[in-house]
Amino acid sequence: MTSSASLSDSQRLNRVRQTLSQVRHFTDLPPKVMTAIACAATFCRFDADEVIYLEGEPAKSLYILEKGWVKATRMSPEGREQALWFLESGEAFGDVALLTDTPSPGTVVALEPVEAWAIEKSDFLCLIDRHPQLAMAVIRRLGERVLYFIGLVEDLSLRSVEARVAKTLLKHAGVAGDRLVVPRRTWTTFDEMATRLGTVRDVLSRALKTLEDEKLLHVERHQIVILDPAGLAARGES
Amino acid sequence: MDSSEIRRGTMTELAHFIPDENLRAAILAKFAAESRIASTNVRVGVLNGIAHLAGEVDSLAKRSMAEDLAREIPGVRGIVNRIEAPGAPNPSRTVNLDLSPNPKDDSP
Repeated sequence: MTSSASLSDSQRLNRVRQTLSQVRHFTDLPPKVMTAIACAATFCRFDADEVIYLEGEPAKSLYILEKGWVKATRMSPEGREQALWFLESGEAFGDVALLTDTPSPGTVVALEPVEAWAIEKSDFLCLIDRHPQLAMAVIRRLGERVLYFIGLVEDLSLRSVEARVAKTLLKHAGVAGDRLVVPRRTWTTFDEMATRLGTVRDVLSRALKTLEDEKLLHVERHQIVILDPAGLAARGES
Repeated sequence: MDSSEIRRGTMTELAHFIPDENLRAAILAKFAAESRIASTNVRVGVLNGIAHLAGEVDSLAKRSMAEDLAREIPGVRGIVNRIEAPGAPNPSRTVNLDLSPNPKDDSP
């Protein structure tokens, strides 16, 4: 991790406020609260593949992502790695362990070069104590996280790998020309996709082959083309 | 079964109950006592008895040494080595899970 001391105070405050304004539930915070958060934030930069924090490591900071993707994983007691979430700019993470005063529950790694703002634990807790609007924003974010994990538990326990693949692909699909495609980022390897879906590479390959044989999608080198969105959606619910 | 075997078996079972934070402290103490690792900035987290290592060292030998030292701690069930070093796999992650109760136990 590298920090930057080259930014002037006003540049720093503006950048933090701009980043905060993209974080859900932080958007409507009063300017004085935004400024208080900005004053407590420290700029940090992580290289691609760099570990931001480790599971079981004491939690030190809340992070607000300005740029780049990160992923959180957790190793099961049996040794299988499960993706918890993938986050991009305008998201915050690290808050759960700070609020519960426990070690970090997952490992967070930068997937690309990442720029973020870190707020140390004591400052974060102090800010929450002083600003009820911030406390409410944090509660809303945690509530959303709970709903997300309920969905993840449902997916992992009730849906087949094919159904999870179908659902995830549709969620990330976008229109390119006259086709519905899921672009593959440089870090979207089969291993990453398998980790995200709670399975292993071989099983994922077979699931994609099955969906391809059913003419629901076509796997290309840099993207996955969805041939039959309605059919894939139906598979996602199976 | 003689008394030493009974004692080893009990120690193995006890190792399961060592809290993660105590395992982490033991690994950090081990690193601090090893001059070639002490000067580095290797980070350690432990969850469910699995030690997670990160940071950067200047050689593969030091990367391996950190993993070996961590594995010596009774109660550590496995290592996920994410330490970056010249020549290390990229992305730098070696999952080395020996999920036996106690990797140092030499009982038959």
